[in-house]
Amino acid sequence: MKTILITFAGAGGLLAEPYLVEDIKFPPEVPPEVGAIDFAPDGTLFAVLRRGDVMRAKPKKDPKSWDWELFATGFHNGCGIDALSRDKVRVTQMADFTEATDTNGDGRADQYRIFAAGWGLSGNYHETNTIADDGKGGYYIAVGTASHNGPTAEHTLGEYSKFGRRGRNFASVKWKGTTLHCDAKGNLTPFCFGFRMHNGIHLDSSGNLWCGDNQGDWRATTPLYHLEKGNFYGHPSALVWDERWPRDKDPLATYREDLKAYNKHRTMPAIQVPHKEMNRSAGEPYEIPKNFPHFPGQMLLPDNNSKRITRIMLEEVNGKFQGACTHFLNGGGLRSGNHRVRFSPDGSQIYIGQTVRGWGREAEGLQRITPTSEIEPFDITSFKITPKGFKLTFNRDLAKTVKDSDFNFKSFTYQSKWTYGSPQENKKDHKVAGVKMPGDRTVEVMLDELNPGRVFQLDLAKLMSKDGAEIQNRLFYYTANEVPGQ
Amino acid sequence: MHKRFLLIFFVGISWVAADSLTYDTTPLGDVDRPMILRTYVPDPGLDPAVFANHGKASKSPRYSPKSGKDTKGEYSMMKVIPAAIAVNHGPALSYVWDTTECRLLYAWQGGFLDLYPYWGTEGRGGRRSFDYGARLMGNLFYLAQPIKGGNAEAPKFLGYDLSENGVPTFRYRVGKEEYTETIMPTSGLYAFEKTVNGNKVSLKGKLISKHQGFERNLKIKTVTANEGEKVFGAYGCVACHSIDGSKGHGPSLKGLAGSTRPIEGGTSVKADAAYLKESIQAPNAKTAKGFPPGYMPPYQMSEKEVDSLVLYIQSLSK
Repeated sequence: MKTILITFAGAGGLLAEPYLVEDIKFPPEVPPEVGAIDFAPDGTLFAVLRRGDVMRAKPKKDPKSWDWELFATGFHNGCGIDALSRDKVRVTQMADFTEATDTNGDGRADQYRIFAAGWGLSGNYHETNTIADDGKGGYYIAVGTASHNGPTAEHTLGEYSKFGRRGRNFASVKWKGTTLHCDAKGNLTPFCFGFRMHNGIHLDSSGNLWCGDNQGDWRATTPLYHLEKGNFYGHPSALVWDERWPRDKDPLATYREDLKAYNKHRTMPAIQVPHKEMNRSAGEPYEIPKNFPHFPGQMLLPDNNSKRITRIMLEEVNGKFQGACTHFLNGGGLRSGNHRVRFSPDGSQIYIGQTVRGWGREAEGLQRITPTSEIEPFDITSFKITPKGFKLTFNRDLAKTVKDSDFNFKSFTYQSKWTYGSPQENKKDHKVAGVKMPGDRTVEVMLDELNPGRVFQLDLAKLMSKDGAEIQNRLFYYTANEVPGQ
Repeated sequence: MHKRFLLIFFVGISWVAADSLTYDTTPLGDVDRPMILRTYVPDPGLDPAVFANHGKASKSPRYSPKSGKDTKGEYSMMKVIPAAIAVNHGPALSYVWDTTECRLLYAWQGGFLDLYPYWGTEGRGGRRSFDYGARLMGNLFYLAQPIKGGNAEAPKFLGYDLSENGVPTFRYRVGKEEYTETIMPTSGLYAFEKTVNGNKVSLKGKLISKHQGFERNLKIKTVTANEGEKVFGAYGCVACHSIDGSKGHGPSLKGLAGSTRPIEGGTSVKADAAYLKESIQAPNAKTAKGFPPGYMPPYQMSEKEVDSLVLYIQSLSK
């Protein structure tokens, strides 16, 4: 099949879909509300479903005939899973982090042990959490907040904070809105604070920790955060669980009235992903492995609220991460609800776990994305800032010498605050002060003005490659927290 | 409905996973092979002192997403238990064992839980916004009493083991002492057996209350805006549609009725009763400008529910 598809792409590349998106079917009576997925070392794929079941299957080529088995059950809204072996998984559910083991080899877990516990649970429906391996046998745990669209219980798991309860998304019990570190023995310590709903966390191959979040209160737009110990990432409610924050101070009221102090305290997103144009609700960021044929080393950011996945191009400027985003996939058979990512063990295929249950129209399931060609679709593969503008690298030679008018740049700012999302402000249309082509696939664009703290939008002309392909993406955003040399 | 037919179509070519949870919101285990479910189980009237090791929530000022500040009114709490385990042996026995107090909290017979307010239906999920705790089904006959003198030390839940038949034995520690606890149905009415560290005791309760799950029908007699407000709450509309003009996943309902609405695709439409009704029953017929298409699920409401809801939406424009 691969041969046919390569031929198809090679024969012009104008209309060929770069990815085949297949629906992996669960047994028909099983609600496919995929909280999280993970591959065991032997290649078995595990999926924890939100009603409580953990299913496992060896992937098959035919997406409709997988032999799913029920491996474990009895989890409350499991949204993080680590498949340690074919016989052992660890699942983060609402109240705790539980290890389930099949000790007698009959295919069904029979031993359930608390691996880690200590965060609270208020009784609110919104308080899911998820994990990333820390690379040392432990984890980072993203503990989400509660929603004002639901109540708390009278009696909570763990201590209750009245200040934490205030506002739209709230942190009325311990460690809501924080990222925890969990060592290999299950001991928990707060790592960083200030999240709304970081539904997805990932440690990349260089040891950098990443998470997204959901546009909303204190989230101007969809962010991608680079997580470092002790930082505050901008959603105030969680500060009630930061020992450095005064116990008698309401963080929400404090920062609502003092955005200057708020901006000083918080760490900005490495990338601000425009909410409507690119990604409405970030799922799990995930680095594309070396053996995936397209855009290796870049990052995927699934959209939980649209039929698309964002592609992230990062760089370090003045010692901090920032960079650009565009679509990896926009439509093409993808469902909405995208929030979990795993690559097949050989790196050749992407599995996407999907659920929005109880939040809008159903978008539940598991899909598999396979490149239809080893060759990347014609696109910008590197987007870097320079002291005067941007350096864009294409993955194919360009058909023609580019001109100023091929690059339309605008810029704007975001101020996150108590409102549900924030508009693009201080908009500016930029003039291109010049373009240079140091090579057949590299373009340097100089702008009239390049100030830090702005998001730059590039609307690209319909460029063609020398081999006759039309550019796949024409909309890009670069978050310039920093400008080199400034 | 068409989804059901599709599913039946696929039965022939897909292996069926035994015992998996399904869209059925009233799942049942078996007398010999119990079902274990973790969810927000109801607190059917336990003495608050039973929750000695829990935190205590309080009423909180209502928040206005429009102004970002407190508004009039308070949020009250829901009677659910956050971290308990529910177990069902079919009609013979259901019980709730709590991982915080590390003890049996209550037991009932005749049914298990109705998860409809939490799981909703197959087609649309749908959680009852402030009322999503699972409901009991059957006859409640045992409620835990506070431990006299209180706990010497907070217990620590360790986990549980399943027998060949999937019967859980809970494990916990108090201080240095480790405990195991297994609960089993017996043939008796309002009775069960509890084995703690190998010591079996028979327990017998008496009928406390009868439960029939979640009442799905709002039973509207007369179509009014007041009934519509109840519908608005029951179906969780507020999760996407504010009533104060603030932004959300869907358009705010404030000032919507009677206004002229721009529609994706370039036209606009007057938000009269017919448009409001269509937007509830066939929400994807027209998409309000600035919102993603196909995002709102169609709602299967009774005519009286829809008509009341329309009156309620219209009342928000007065």
